[in-house]
Amino acid sequence: MIRDITLGQFFPGHSLLHRADPRIKIILSILYIVLVFLADSVSGYLFLVLFTALLIAISGIPVSTLVKSLKPLLFIVLFTSVINVFWNREGELLVSFWKIAIYTGGVFTAVFMTVRIMMLLLGTGVILTYTTSPIALTDAMERLLSPLKVLHIPVHDFAMMMTIALRFIPTLLEETDKIMNAQKARGADFSTGSLGQRAKALIPVLIPLFISAFRRADELAVAMESRCYRGGKGRTRMTSLHLHALDFVLLFGLALAGAGIVLCNRFVPIYAI
Amino acid sequence: MENTAAKLCGVSYIYSEKTPFEKVAVDGVDVTLEEGMVTGLIGHTGSGKSTVAQMLNGLLRPTSGEVYVLGRNIWENPKDIRRVRFEAGLVFQYPEYQLFEETVARDIAFGPRNMGLPEEEISSRVAEAMAFVGLDASLSEKSPFDLSGGQKRRVALAGVMAMQPKILILDEPAAGLDPRGRDEILSGVVRYKERTGATVVMISHSMEDMARYCDRILVMNDGKPYLYGTPEVVFSEAERLEKVGLSVPQITRLMAELRRRGYPVSASVYTVEAALAEIRKLTGGDRA
Repeated sequence: MIRDITLGQFFPGHSLLHRADPRIKIILSILYIVLVFLADSVSGYLFLVLFTALLIAISGIPVSTLVKSLKPLLFIVLFTSVINVFWNREGELLVSFWKIAIYTGGVFTAVFMTVRIMMLLLGTGVILTYTTSPIALTDAMERLLSPLKVLHIPVHDFAMMMTIALRFIPTLLEETDKIMNAQKARGADFSTGSLGQRAKALIPVLIPLFISAFRRADELAVAMESRCYRGGKGRTRMTSLHLHALDFVLLFGLALAGAGIVLCNRFVPIYAI
Repeated sequence: MENTAAKLCGVSYIYSEKTPFEKVAVDGVDVTLEEGMVTGLIGHTGSGKSTVAQMLNGLLRPTSGEVYVLGRNIWENPKDIRRVRFEAGLVFQYPEYQLFEETVARDIAFGPRNMGLPEEEISSRVAEAMAFVGLDASLSEKSPFDLSGGQKRRVALAGVMAMQPKILILDEPAAGLDPRGRDEILSGVVRYKERTGATVVMISHSMEDMARYCDRILVMNDGKPYLYGTPEVVFSEAERLEKVGLSVPQITRLMAELRRRGYPVSASVYTVEAALAEIRKLTGGDRA
């Protein structure tokens, strides 16, 4: 069913990562990405994998959910691995038959790339997207970007647009689901036939969906205006964010992990690229 | 078995199973829909009515239990599920939001065309369906988006009727319509039923509609069947209905009040017409 598509991946919970300040979590995930690219040896990668596993354990997100989220990546991972394995000619020759030759460098790079992509997705996932509600996320982005207001960039308006877009993703998905079901009830067939036929079968879904999206936009605009919304100027918040000890602990933890990876690379460079 | 149109045997449905959002919508329902009857489905929001409706035409596959439509277990051959949708036509809530074609006639023809019927058959069915719901033939070349709300709803209803399902399932067909639109829609359903002898399942929140149109009423509560029977049987259980946040028709309450004040009127009155007859009896039949 279409509702299974995870766009907003938020997975409700009460873990430390759920409770952390969303602004800090954005910073943490950026730092985490840096961390992933710091690792360039087997030991560094091992450290990274262990650290990510620790993050996953802290977040309390079921592993099965995370594994499912990796599925769409399978193709990219396979594709890059194949390219690396067959075309990378560094290191020692491992196998060669006919015109194909596989070198150790290729195999290592393929494995590293795979691990890197997986860790990027899992790590930022449990730090940010799985543990932060989309609304908290845009709120945090607005705060982090607010210095740009000096340059007359309408940060608030962008954040509001994001919030509205995110808010309506589930609504529109639900609507799509409903319309699809209604057309299925009239015998529409979305799952068989050639690609062209399937694309054509979506017309009875897309037209009503667009119409309802425009209707909703209209209604929302009227509702906002009738409550005197006029942009971000002078607007206060119901919940303001405050930093807690937990946020500093998390930052410190990530810094430690970074140091750990650098040390691993330096002192146990089993296979450094 | 021969007067059974559809049957649910121990059917349960769980939404988002094995996630934090897991919700049991329908819990072990056994229901038999009698052929040619109008069965009303009532219950509070979230009582599982709509889920039952969607399981009857194979849009939802029950988590456990079996669904029989026209004597056949519909999930025996999942590839054949489209056929079930033509046999048990489902009209969703607010069906006017599913209109998409350029003309009314083409929108109504969507279902029959998906059935693979020949063109002449399709156009005769479209004309017939428009007549069922009381849409003037002159509207057939108009854009459905230019019609009024009530007319749009009738177009959508005609779109399902044109498939001539043996079982017609309606999810709150009259929701959000004014009294006139309501009568137009529901009398369309009655016309369809009388012409084709179809079995009708109707979800509604209006006890008055239930009393007026239904032969059988199934009350659902918390995903389970709560009361089932003829309107007489169901509406005689006013206390049990109130316990789950439902009530008897207003006119029944009025008659109960009259009885309480000492007038000798019948307690089992569910429609305004029947009430009128009762009161006429009381006044000697010459007035009113």
